[in-house]
Amino acid sequence: MTAPPLAHLINELTKLPGLGGKSAARLAYHLLKRPTADVEALASAILDVKSKIFRCSICNNMTDVEPCVICSDTRRDPTVICVVEEAFNIPTIETTRDFRGVFHVLLGALSPLKGVGPQDIDVAGLVRRVQAGQIREVIVATNPNVEGEATALYIAQQLRPLEVRTTRLGFGLPVGGDLEYADQVTMSKALESRREI
Amino acid sequence: MILERLSSENFRNLEAAEYRFHPAVNLVVGMNGQGKTNLLEAVYFLATTKSFRTARTQSLIRFGQSYLFVNGDIARQGVTQTLSAGVDPGESRRVLTINAERVPLGRYLQSLTVIAYSSSRLEIIRGGPEDRRRFLDRGIASVEPGYLERLNRFQRALKQRNALLHAIAARQARASDLDAWDEEFLLAAIPVSAARADYARRISALLGATVDRYRYHVTGLTLRYLPGGEASGDPGAWRQRLQEVKRQELRSRMTLVGPQRDNVAFELEGRPAAEVLSGGELKTIVLFLKFAKLEHFRDETGEAAVFVLDDIDAELDVDILEAVLLNLPAATQLFATSAKQSVISALETGPHRRFAMDGGRAVEVSEH
Ligand SMILES: [Zn+2]
Repeated sequence: MTAPPLAHLINELTKLPGLGGKSAARLAYHLLKRPTADVEALASAILDVKSKIFRCSICNNMTDVEPCVICSDTRRDPTVICVVEEAFNIPTIETTRDFRGVFHVLLGALSPLKGVGPQDIDVAGLVRRVQAGQIREVIVATNPNVEGEATALYIAQQLRPLEVRTTRLGFGLPVGGDLEYADQVTMSKALESRREI
Repeated sequence: MILERLSSENFRNLEAAEYRFHPAVNLVVGMNGQGKTNLLEAVYFLATTKSFRTARTQSLIRFGQSYLFVNGDIARQGVTQTLSAGVDPGESRRVLTINAERVPLGRYLQSLTVIAYSSSRLEIIRGGPEDRRRFLDRGIASVEPGYLERLNRFQRALKQRNALLHAIAARQARASDLDAWDEEFLLAAIPVSAARADYARRISALLGATVDRYRYHVTGLTLRYLPGGEASGDPGAWRQRLQEVKRQELRSRMTLVGPQRDNVAFELEGRPAAEVLSGGELKTIVLFLKFAKLEHFRDETGEAAVFVLDDIDAELDVDILEAVLLNLPAATQLFATSAKQSVISALETGPHRRFAMDGGRAVEVSEH
């Protein structure tokens, strides 16, 4: 039988995405073998991230300063907004170095099957940013799957009255796929070949 | 394309032996039981990952075993590839490999195309709309590599839209939430609908030409694509059709237009062929239909698909069968089984290899 404190840790680890019972147990036993100082460093890093990281009030990116380093970077072009589903999509686009505008994180994509509707993602915040003026282009970089496409169409419909140029990432991205897995070259091409929606 | 070799493990009662096939004609004969059909079914499974006799994959696995696989060598345009399709209880999907490398279904299905005829299976004419949609989808997927992906996208969009119709009916979502999903749905549906309409038109024309060529007495047969919910044309027309049925959709909580409701009408001068034709005529027409598919595949790819004829029975006109087989696209490899000696004799006129099966074992292989 597994000792209760160990079983407790394993149980908490299985709640993490991509971790099954076996890998959670392996991880727990690995942590037990580490020096106490290492484990303390990990534990405090986890607590730190929870207490120090919050969402940027402008773009919803994860940040420890307000506004985030991207929104406050004066060398970036604040008139071009790239819309992504999740904050972890930002590094994928940043690796291309082709994009010098700012971001807007939706916090999800439309999915009636998961009960996610327009009020559950932050399109309203995007509309407010465009209404505030000086936006030249909105590049919609939601995932190239059914949910991402529907979200892109919804955004286009919401922005239509505001007459701002709205584009969608172009070809090259695997259909039905996830932005997360796109490499740098593919991403650059997708940005380059974006089209109006 | 030529299936040169096949072996299997735990596939029904087939012995785990290696079969080497003739590039032209392979005749499978046997006194009793399912042994001979099992060999043809294994060929079909290798190509499609499905059976032509059952929808229950589990029943393909030999009793008392937990997995099966079939593998074979395909020679195509000077290159030989080894395909393997397996069912493993530890895997939710089929285990599919090309040259020992795992590949997704869409890619796997591109490597070997088998067109099968079975006298006992006339779903295309007698079956329901679902069977007819499958007939169209399989035919299109064999010549259009991206089609399965488009079909998946459509099915996912349909699921999402139906979920939303439910949520709206339950007052958990607003009717205006449909706007984006209507657009995504029609963008996903139109390519599927257009491909099916085009395929049905092509097959219908080829079928008509085949009937004429053999001077078959049943003329005026048409295969007509009936778009689900009468949605067709450009995005504008689809949008309008979606608007027309919206109220009804919100009441029934499901999408009423689109490929999920497509059908194909097989008609003889406006009347359903299944009601007008005799059993023997239907069997002959289905044979012509398979011939039309073979020609369509050849036209689109420049290659010959493998033709499997299972269980040819007495009702099929042997003279017509002989004539059809003589006119197959060049280099078509044929696999056939029949309990009828007249059919076997008709097939034995050219060079062929003959497999005499006893149970799941080839007791004699002879070259002629
Ligand atoms: Zn920000």
